[in-house]
Amino acid sequence: MNSKQQNPKSKEELFTSLYLEVFPAAAALVSKNGGSFDQASDVFQEALICYYEQVIIGNKITEISDKAYLLGITRNLWYQQMRMGREHESLEVVTQLSETQPTLPSPHRILRFLETAGKKCMDMLQAFYYDQLPLEKIANRFGFGSTRSATVQKYKCLEKMRQEVSKQELTYADFTD
Amino acid sequence: MRTSLTETQTIEKYLFGRMSNEDRLLLETKMTLNPELEEKVYLQRQVYEQVKAYGRKQLSADIQAVHHQLFTAPQYRGFRQRVMAIFKT
Repeated sequence: MNSKQQNPKSKEELFTSLYLEVFPAAAALVSKNGGSFDQASDVFQEALICYYEQVIIGNKITEISDKAYLLGITRNLWYQQMRMGREHESLEVVTQLSETQPTLPSPHRILRFLETAGKKCMDMLQAFYYDQLPLEKIANRFGFGSTRSATVQKYKCLEKMRQEVSKQELTYADFTD
Repeated sequence: MRTSLTETQTIEKYLFGRMSNEDRLLLETKMTLNPELEEKVYLQRQVYEQVKAYGRKQLSADIQAVHHQLFTAPQYRGFRQRVMAIFKT
C-alpha cells in the first residue's frame, strides 16, 4: 500500500540525500532574501517535515520531481514567514488546535507527561497513526505474535492514554482553582 | 474484543469520519445522553492530536541529527563549504 515507505531506505538516508541535494538551493533562496544560515536551516527542517507527511506518509503524487517539490515547500514556507514578519513561526503553532482554552494545561505539557507515563504506548501509536506503517511491520517491531494482537494492543493504548490525558487535566484543574 | 475496545474502535471511526450517517447520528445521540461517553470522545481526540505532535517531535529530532552530522562530519566538508559560501557577503 505504501510503496515509498516500504523501500528499505532509512529515514536517515532519506534525509541525508535530500539535504545534500536540496539544501544548497534552499539556502540560496533564503540568503537572497536576506535570511541567515539558521533561518535557512529552520525553514528547511520544517519543509522536510511537511514533505515527509505529504509524500512519504501520505503518498502524495507530485507532478514535479520530489526534490523540486521539497524546494517548492521551502519557498512557500519562507515567503509565508516573511509575510507574517515573524522569523520563527513554527509548525506547531499552526497545528495546535486546542490551545485556546485557558483552563487546560498546554499541549506541550500534556505531551511531556504522556511521554513519561507511557512511552511504549506512544511509540506504538505513533507507528500506527503518524507513520502509518503496515500492520505486519508494527506487529513485528513491537513483538506481537499476530496483527490481531497488535490491533488489540493499539486500542488498549488509546484507552490508557485517554486516562492519562484526563488525569493530567484533573491535576491541572486542582492547581488553577 | 472486549466491549470497551469495541467502543474505542467506534469512537475512532467517528473521529476519523469513517462512519455511516446513521451510525454517526446514533453515537451523537448516545453522547448527549451519556456524558461519560462524550468525555471519552473528547479525550480520545486529544490523544490523536498528541500522537501527531509526538510523531513530529521524533521526526524533527531525526532531521536535526542528520543536520548535525552534515555540519560536523569530515566527509561532508565540501558540502559545508558550498553552503557557507552562500551566506558570505
